[in-house]
Amino acid sequence: MNKEEFLIQMQDVLQTEIELKMETVLDELDEWDSLSMMATMAFLDKNFGVKLKIADIKTLVNIGDIAAKAGIQ
Amino acid sequence: MVSFSAEQRFVVTGASSGIGEGVALLLNELGATVIGIGRNQERLEGMRAKAKAPGNVFLEQKDLAEDISGLHVYVKSLKEKYGKFSGMAYCAGITLNQPLQLKDYETSRRLFDIDYFAPMFMTKAFGDRRNTVGRGTSIVLISSAAANCSARAMSDYCGAKAALSHSARCIAKELAPHGIRINCVLPADIVTPMTLADPDILASKNYPMGVGEVSDVANLVAFLLSDKAKWITGQNYVVDCASF
Repeated sequence: MNKEEFLIQMQDVLQTEIELKMETVLDELDEWDSLSMMATMAFLDKNFGVKLKIADIKTLVNIGDIAAKAGIQ
Repeated sequence: MVSFSAEQRFVVTGASSGIGEGVALLLNELGATVIGIGRNQERLEGMRAKAKAPGNVFLEQKDLAEDISGLHVYVKSLKEKYGKFSGMAYCAGITLNQPLQLKDYETSRRLFDIDYFAPMFMTKAFGDRRNTVGRGTSIVLISSAAANCSARAMSDYCGAKAALSHSARCIAKELAPHGIRINCVLPADIVTPMTLADPDILASKNYPMGVGEVSDVANLVAFLLSDKAKWITGQNYVVDCASF
């Protein structure tokens, strides 16, 4: 999965109409709540075999941080 | 009194006959715009011909069980065509007598596709705030009184409806923070083409106030879709006239 594909997928994970960029700050998205955190964890596990805890998720600042966990630069 | 505006768009599945047709016609009569989905274009036209405001009834021919993985994309395309939705009434379904010794996997899976997976993935699409008006969106799934009953040769149907009813309760918790509601209506046998196809169904039970009519179900569905029901979600409402 490349960067562009990752951003398209995240669009569906967060179900947001705001166009996501790597710099998009998670706390500035209305959609960034406990359920979308769970969805992000499931997404990383299913597609990249990356298992995170809620505490890990809470340290992420922007979309790029999620990409970094997935190994996408 | 429940009423809607033409800006409120509802998708009704199974809209060409039975409960779906009744729900589509009632929502339209109460002022809403209805997008009726059904497998048969001719029967869909027949529904629209009965509508009080046919200008606010749009028809989409589609077999929802054909490509369940693609339902999300399908609903997105409907949103792009009609605008954001205020909700959905999922009324499509099949019933099937299949005694245990005749159970076969293909038939069982087909039933679950239509009665469980298709409504689940339509619900996924309507839980996506990009397809709906967001807060105030309401989803109603037609389950069945069979979800709470046991009957010979009905293990798949009862099982699929029980699964649907219970999944809806879980989904309600996921959607509530976003102001989106989901409820199930569980009718007993109602006079529809589905039940009339098997006269034994209607004859075999003792309904103290007579057999149910489509309007008995449709009025509850309309209420649950409306803002009058704004604090009601995750519930299963049995409409069976105390027959079971």
